[in-house]
Amino acid sequence: MSSRGSSSRITDEEINELVSKLQSLLPESRRRNIGRASASKLLKETCSYIKSLHRDVDDLSDRLSALMATMDANSPQADIIRSLLRS
Amino acid sequence: MQATKSFERAFLRQLLRVFRLSAVSYKSMSLQERKSAIKLSADVAMASARGSRKWTRGLIAKLSEEDEHRSFLRLILGTEYERLTKPCHGSWKIPRSKKIVRRSLRVCSRRKNNLRAPHGFKSSVLARTLVEKRTHALKRLVPGGESLDGYSLLDEALDYVISLRAQADLMQKLLTTFEASKLSALSKCTLPERKASFVGK
Repeated sequence: MSSRGSSSRITDEEINELVSKLQSLLPESRRRNIGRASASKLLKETCSYIKSLHRDVDDLSDRLSALMATMDANSPQADIIRSLLRS
Repeated sequence: MQATKSFERAFLRQLLRVFRLSAVSYKSMSLQERKSAIKLSADVAMASARGSRKWTRGLIAKLSEEDEHRSFLRLILGTEYERLTKPCHGSWKIPRSKKIVRRSLRVCSRRKNNLRAPHGFKSSVLARTLVEKRTHALKRLVPGGESLDGYSLLDEALDYVISLRAQADLMQKLLTTFEASKLSALSKCTLPERKASFVGK
Protein backbone atom coordinates (compact mmCIF):
# COMPACT_ATOMS: atom_id res chain seq x y z
CA MET A 1 0.00 0.00 0.00
CA SER A 2 1.82 3.08 -1.19
CA SER A 3 0.88 6.60 -0.31
CA ARG A 4 1.28 9.50 -2.65
CA GLY A 5 3.03 11.77 -0.17
CA SER A 6 6.49 10.45 0.48
CA SER A 7 7.01 11.70 4.01
CA SER A 8 3.51 11.23 5.37
CA ARG A 9 3.26 7.48 5.47
CA ILE A 10 1.93 6.18 8.74
CA THR A 11 3.31 2.87 9.92
CA ASP A 12 1.37 -0.04 11.37
CA GLU A 13 3.42 0.41 14.51
CA GLU A 14 2.26 4.01 14.93
CA ILE A 15 -1.33 2.96 14.46
CA ASN A 16 -0.93 0.16 17.00
CA GLU A 17 0.57 2.52 19.52
CA LEU A 18 -2.19 5.08 19.07
CA VAL A 19 -4.90 2.46 19.47
CA SER A 20 -3.19 1.09 22.59
CA LYS A 21 -2.92 4.51 24.16
CA LEU A 22 -6.55 5.27 23.44
CA GLN A 23 -7.70 1.97 24.80
CA SER A 24 -5.71 2.43 28.00
CA LEU A 25 -7.66 5.62 28.67
CA LEU A 26 -11.10 4.10 28.35
CA PRO A 27 -12.67 3.13 31.65
CA GLU A 28 -14.26 -0.12 30.53
CA SER A 29 -11.11 -1.45 28.95
CA ARG A 30 -9.15 -0.52 32.05
CA ARG A 31 -11.54 -2.29 34.36
CA ARG A 32 -11.76 -5.57 32.55
CA ASN A 33 -8.31 -5.46 31.00
CA ILE A 34 -9.61 -6.79 27.71
CA GLY A 35 -7.17 -7.77 25.02
CA ARG A 36 -7.27 -5.70 21.88
CA ALA A 37 -10.86 -4.66 21.21
CA SER A 38 -12.42 -4.32 17.80
CA ALA A 39 -12.40 -1.04 15.93
CA SER A 40 -16.12 -0.48 16.36
CA LYS A 41 -15.91 -1.17 20.09
CA LEU A 42 -13.03 1.25 20.46
CA LEU A 43 -14.92 3.99 18.64
CA LYS A 44 -18.09 3.34 20.61
CA GLU A 45 -16.30 3.48 23.96
CA THR A 46 -14.38 6.59 23.01
CA CYS A 47 -17.64 8.32 22.08
CA SER A 48 -19.28 7.19 25.33
CA TYR A 49 -16.37 8.38 27.38
CA ILE A 50 -16.27 11.80 25.75
CA LYS A 51 -20.00 12.20 26.36
CA SER A 52 -19.65 11.20 30.00
CA LEU A 53 -16.81 13.68 30.49
CA HIS A 54 -18.98 16.39 28.94
CA ARG A 55 -21.68 15.52 31.45
CA ASP A 56 -19.19 15.69 34.32
CA VAL A 57 -18.05 19.17 33.30
CA ASP A 58 -21.66 20.26 32.90
CA ASP A 59 -22.51 19.02 36.38
CA LEU A 60 -19.42 20.66 37.89
CA SER A 61 -20.35 23.95 36.24
CA ASP A 62 -23.79 23.69 37.87
CA ARG A 63 -22.25 23.12 41.26
CA LEU A 64 -19.69 25.88 40.95
CA SER A 65 -22.45 28.21 39.84
CA ALA A 66 -24.62 27.31 42.82
CA LEU A 67 -21.70 27.75 45.17
CA MET A 68 -20.79 31.18 43.82
CA ALA A 69 -24.41 32.24 43.99
CA THR A 70 -24.70 31.42 47.67
CA MET A 71 -21.52 33.20 48.59
CA ASP A 72 -22.38 35.82 51.11
CA ALA A 73 -20.38 38.82 49.99
CA ASN A 74 -19.02 39.54 53.44
CA SER A 75 -18.20 36.06 54.66
CA PRO A 76 -14.62 34.94 55.32
CA GLN A 77 -14.90 32.26 52.67
CA ALA A 78 -15.89 34.86 50.10
CA ASP A 79 -12.66 36.67 50.94
CA ILE A 80 -10.65 33.50 50.45
CA ILE A 81 -12.28 32.88 47.09
CA ARG A 82 -11.83 36.46 46.01
CA SER A 83 -8.14 36.26 46.92
CA LEU A 84 -7.76 33.07 44.95
CA LEU A 85 -9.40 34.68 41.99
CA ARG A 86 -7.34 37.81 42.27
CA SER A 87 -3.87 36.24 42.35
CA MET B 1 -1.76 8.82 30.26
CA GLN B 2 -2.21 12.18 31.82
CA ALA B 3 -2.16 15.84 31.08
CA THR B 4 1.14 17.51 31.95
CA LYS B 5 1.70 19.51 35.10
CA SER B 6 2.26 22.61 33.01
CA PHE B 7 -1.11 22.09 31.35
CA GLU B 8 -2.75 21.79 34.77
CA ARG B 9 -1.10 24.96 36.01
CA ALA B 10 -1.94 26.86 32.83
CA PHE B 11 -5.53 25.68 32.99
CA LEU B 12 -6.02 26.77 36.59
CA ARG B 13 -4.32 30.08 36.01
CA GLN B 14 -6.46 30.82 32.97
CA LEU B 15 -9.64 29.62 34.64
CA LEU B 16 -9.20 31.82 37.68
CA ARG B 17 -8.25 34.72 35.43
CA VAL B 18 -11.32 34.26 33.28
CA PHE B 19 -13.54 33.98 36.37
CA ARG B 20 -12.13 37.30 37.50
CA LEU B 21 -12.62 38.97 34.11
CA SER B 22 -16.15 37.74 33.74
CA ALA B 23 -16.97 38.77 37.31
CA VAL B 24 -18.72 35.44 37.62
CA SER B 25 -18.20 35.19 41.35
CA TYR B 26 -19.86 38.43 42.33
CA LYS B 27 -21.83 39.94 39.48
CA SER B 28 -25.47 39.23 39.91
CA MET B 29 -26.81 36.89 37.27
CA SER B 30 -29.17 33.97 37.04
CA LEU B 31 -28.00 30.50 37.94
CA GLN B 32 -28.13 29.51 34.28
CA GLU B 33 -26.16 32.55 33.13
CA ARG B 34 -23.51 31.90 35.73
CA LYS B 35 -23.31 28.26 34.77
CA SER B 36 -22.91 29.14 31.09
CA ALA B 37 -20.20 31.63 31.97
CA ILE B 38 -18.37 29.02 34.01
CA LYS B 39 -18.62 26.43 31.26
CA LEU B 40 -17.39 28.89 28.68
CA SER B 41 -14.52 29.86 30.97
CA ALA B 42 -13.56 26.24 31.51
CA ASP B 43 -13.50 25.53 27.78
CA VAL B 44 -11.49 28.63 26.95
CA ALA B 45 -9.03 27.82 29.73
CA MET B 46 -8.68 24.26 28.46
CA ALA B 47 -8.06 25.30 24.86
CA SER B 48 -5.67 28.05 25.89
CA ALA B 49 -3.70 25.78 28.21
CA ARG B 50 -3.30 23.14 25.51
CA GLY B 51 -2.13 25.45 22.77
CA SER B 52 -2.55 24.87 19.07
CA ARG B 53 -4.17 21.58 18.17
CA LYS B 54 -6.90 20.72 15.71
CA TRP B 55 -9.40 20.30 18.51
CA THR B 56 -8.47 23.50 20.36
CA ARG B 57 -8.94 25.47 17.15
CA GLY B 58 -12.20 23.68 16.53
CA LEU B 59 -13.36 24.49 20.04
CA ILE B 60 -12.47 28.18 19.83
CA ALA B 61 -14.16 28.35 16.42
CA LYS B 62 -17.30 26.79 17.85
CA LEU B 63 -17.31 29.13 20.85
CA SER B 64 -16.76 32.11 18.52
CA GLU B 65 -19.94 31.38 16.63
CA GLU B 66 -21.88 33.54 19.02
CA ASP B 67 -21.11 37.25 18.64
CA GLU B 68 -21.14 37.99 22.35
CA HIS B 69 -18.67 35.20 22.95
CA ARG B 70 -16.32 36.38 20.25
CA SER B 71 -15.45 39.70 21.88
CA PHE B 72 -15.12 37.97 25.23
CA LEU B 73 -12.75 35.40 23.72
CA ARG B 74 -10.69 38.17 22.13
CA LEU B 75 -10.41 39.84 25.50
CA ILE B 76 -9.36 36.66 27.27
CA LEU B 77 -6.97 35.27 24.71
CA GLY B 78 -5.51 38.44 23.24
CA THR B 79 -3.08 37.69 20.42
CA GLU B 80 -3.54 33.98 21.06
CA TYR B 81 -7.06 34.37 19.68
CA GLU B 82 -5.77 35.48 16.28
CA ARG B 83 -3.30 32.62 16.25
CA LEU B 84 -5.89 30.00 17.12
CA THR B 85 -8.47 31.22 14.64
CA LYS B 86 -6.10 31.74 11.73
CA PRO B 87 -6.84 29.21 8.99
CA CYS B 88 -4.30 26.43 9.02
CA HIS B 89 -2.21 26.70 5.87
CA GLY B 90 -0.25 23.75 4.65
CA SER B 91 -2.00 21.39 7.00
CA TRP B 92 -1.18 18.22 5.22
CA LYS B 93 -4.06 15.93 4.56
CA ILE B 94 -3.19 12.32 5.07
CA PRO B 95 -3.21 10.80 1.63
CA ARG B 96 -5.67 8.01 1.08
CA SER B 97 -7.02 8.41 4.58
CA LYS B 98 -9.70 5.84 3.93
CA LYS B 99 -7.07 3.22 3.28
CA ILE B 100 -5.37 4.10 6.54
CA VAL B 101 -8.64 3.76 8.41
CA ARG B 102 -9.11 0.38 6.85
CA ARG B 103 -5.57 -0.60 7.71
CA SER B 104 -6.02 0.41 11.32
CA LEU B 105 -9.25 -1.56 11.37
CA ARG B 106 -7.47 -4.67 10.17
CA VAL B 107 -4.84 -4.14 12.79
CA CYS B 108 -7.22 -3.87 15.69
CA SER B 109 -10.24 -5.90 14.75
CA ARG B 110 -10.63 -9.58 15.48
CA ARG B 111 -12.46 -10.13 12.23
CA LYS B 112 -11.90 -13.53 10.74
CA ASN B 113 -10.69 -13.58 7.20
CA ASN B 114 -13.71 -15.33 5.81
CA LEU B 115 -14.48 -13.57 2.58
CA ARG B 116 -15.39 -16.68 0.65
CA ALA B 117 -18.41 -17.66 2.72
CA PRO B 118 -21.45 -15.50 2.02
CA HIS B 119 -22.25 -14.91 5.70
CA GLY B 120 -18.63 -13.90 6.32
CA PHE B 121 -18.89 -11.31 3.60
CA LYS B 122 -22.13 -9.94 5.01
CA SER B 123 -20.76 -9.59 8.52
CA SER B 124 -17.68 -7.79 7.32
CA VAL B 125 -19.90 -5.35 5.41
CA LEU B 126 -21.94 -4.80 8.55
CA ALA B 127 -18.79 -4.30 10.57
CA ARG B 128 -17.57 -1.70 8.11
CA THR B 129 -20.88 0.17 8.23
CA LEU B 130 -20.87 0.16 12.02
CA VAL B 131 -17.35 1.51 12.06
CA GLU B 132 -18.32 4.22 9.58
CA LYS B 133 -21.31 5.20 11.66
CA ARG B 134 -19.27 5.37 14.83
CA THR B 135 -16.47 7.24 13.12
CA HIS B 136 -18.99 9.89 12.13
CA ALA B 137 -20.24 10.03 15.72
CA LEU B 138 -16.69 10.56 16.95
CA LYS B 139 -16.12 13.29 14.37
CA ARG B 140 -19.06 15.18 15.76
CA LEU B 141 -17.85 14.83 19.35
CA VAL B 142 -14.27 15.94 18.82
CA PRO B 143 -14.16 19.70 18.08
CA GLY B 144 -12.79 20.25 14.59
CA GLY B 145 -13.15 16.56 13.97
CA GLU B 146 -15.34 16.90 10.90
CA SER B 147 -12.34 17.58 8.67
CA LEU B 148 -10.27 14.75 10.10
CA ASP B 149 -9.96 11.17 9.10
CA GLY B 150 -8.45 7.94 10.31
CA TYR B 151 -5.23 8.39 12.19
CA SER B 152 -5.65 12.15 12.69
CA LEU B 153 -9.10 11.71 14.15
CA LEU B 154 -7.94 9.11 16.67
CA ASP B 155 -4.89 11.18 17.49
CA GLU B 156 -6.96 14.29 18.20
CA ALA B 157 -9.54 12.25 20.11
CA LEU B 158 -6.80 10.90 22.36
CA ASP B 159 -5.45 14.37 23.10
CA TYR B 160 -8.95 15.75 23.59
CA VAL B 161 -9.90 13.01 26.07
CA ILE B 162 -6.74 13.57 28.12
CA SER B 163 -7.46 17.30 28.30
CA LEU B 164 -11.16 16.78 29.11
CA ARG B 165 -10.25 14.49 31.97
CA ALA B 166 -7.86 17.06 33.38
CA GLN B 167 -10.50 19.76 32.99
CA ALA B 168 -13.03 17.74 34.98
CA ASP B 169 -10.47 16.75 37.64
CA LEU B 170 -9.30 20.30 38.18
CA MET B 171 -12.80 21.74 38.30
CA GLN B 172 -13.63 19.12 40.92
CA LYS B 173 -10.59 20.12 42.93
CA LEU B 174 -11.57 23.77 42.68
CA LEU B 175 -15.05 22.96 43.85
CA THR B 176 -13.70 20.94 46.77
CA THR B 177 -11.38 23.77 47.75
CA PHE B 178 -14.19 26.29 47.67
CA GLU B 179 -16.48 24.03 49.65
CA ALA B 180 -13.75 23.23 52.16
CA SER B 181 -13.17 26.91 52.76
CA LYS B 182 -16.71 27.06 54.05
CA LEU B 183 -16.03 24.48 56.71
CA SER B 184 -12.41 24.67 57.75
CA ALA B 185 -11.00 26.89 60.42
CA LEU B 186 -9.79 29.64 58.14
CA SER B 187 -7.42 31.22 60.60
CA LYS B 188 -5.33 28.06 60.88
CA CYS B 189 -4.29 27.90 57.25
CA THR B 190 -2.64 30.79 55.44
CA LEU B 191 -3.68 31.46 51.88
CA PRO B 192 -0.34 30.87 50.04
CA GLU B 193 -0.02 27.52 51.79
CA ARG B 194 -3.45 26.47 50.72
CA LYS B 195 -2.94 27.57 47.16
CA ALA B 196 0.47 25.88 46.87
CA SER B 197 -0.84 22.57 48.13
CA PHE B 198 -3.72 22.80 45.69
CA VAL B 199 -1.66 23.42 42.58
CA GLY B 200 1.08 20.97 43.52
CA LYS B 201 -1.18 17.89 43.39
